[in-house]
Amino acid sequence: MAKGEIVERVVTYIVKSIVEEPDEVVVTLVEQGPDDVVAEVRTAKGDMGRVIGRRGRVAKAIRAAAGAAGDEEGITAGVEFLD
Amino acid sequence: MSYVEIEVRAKTVDLAVEAAMQELGVSNRDQLSVEVIQEPEKGFLGIGGQDAVVRVKRRKSRRRRNDRKKETRGQTQQQTARQKTQAPTKNGGGKPRGQRNQTQNKGRHMSQSGENREPKVDDRPDISIEEQAEIAGRFLEGLVDAYGLEGTVSTQIDDGVIIADVDGEQTEALVGVRGSVRSAIHELTRTVMQRYAHDTARLRLDIAGYAERRRQALTIYAERLIDQLMVEGGEIMLEPMSPADRKVIHDAAATREGVNSYSEGESPRRYVVLTATATATAKGEEE
Repeated sequence: MAKGEIVERVVTYIVKSIVEEPDEVVVTLVEQGPDDVVAEVRTAKGDMGRVIGRRGRVAKAIRAAAGAAGDEEGITAGVEFLD
Repeated sequence: MSYVEIEVRAKTVDLAVEAAMQELGVSNRDQLSVEVIQEPEKGFLGIGGQDAVVRVKRRKSRRRRNDRKKETRGQTQQQTARQKTQAPTKNGGGKPRGQRNQTQNKGRHMSQSGENREPKVDDRPDISIEEQAEIAGRFLEGLVDAYGLEGTVSTQIDDGVIIADVDGEQTEALVGVRGSVRSAIHELTRTVMQRYAHDTARLRLDIAGYAERRRQALTIYAERLIDQLMVEGGEIMLEPMSPADRKVIHDAAATREGVNSYSEGESPRRYVVLTATATATAKGEEE
């Protein structure tokens, strides 16, 4: 299993579940180190606000969920939200 | 203060509204009420034209916004100046659109005319609590699956509250340090429900029995503090807790004579105070 696969799957699933336009969601996994990945999230323009949420609450929750996914694989996982 | 209001100046009404949406962190035009203060005027050969000015308010802001927003409120002027340079870059020479706005939106609400954005948020129907429970359940099942874990998800409805349970040994991984992942998943499930439903029911989520264990531990803790109060009198301030945890403490206090409980402070540092009372009748409860 490729490293970060669970992270990518979990982040993609969550973001697609939240947005209005799931087909526009793109999650790219970037390796930061041997055991360190960052999932870069892109969405349709109008959806990013929803993904980040009030005071970044949803973004924070997605990061926590990604962290747990990383734990499953023994890696550190971050999430970045890109416009 | 549940409203944030800003004034934005831009080449066209549309651009101004778009900029305002960004500024207020609103993803949909329908969440704003827009008042056109000044219609744009084209001027001659780009000289002497007048920008559109709109005053924009969030429709129903549930809670106080973050600091950035508070700042915005006090700095309308600077905001206006900044938007002026920013907004037009988004759509080069949006003249036809500007003109259309001029004729269509003569100085009043124009939230229905968002022609480049379908009305999304207000499309959300008022769906039944059963359907909401199903949405939550389906999301959680898919999530457990995405993690590659074995687990079962069940939902039930109790007194207007959706109770979702994620069970299975492996789902322990979704609890996190002091329930941090569980809280995150709770937030995400609620967000998904809000995506489909206009008014969402309250949601209680337990994963691998964590919330139940936490409730029991907190109850025991509260019992001990109450015992102590009974002997020593006075009052005890507890550490800041989540609304759910505070409720457990209040519930524990409610079952005992001679003790009163109430919450103080601002979320997320809101905490419970337990006080010994002589009468033990009225309960200062306002969760």
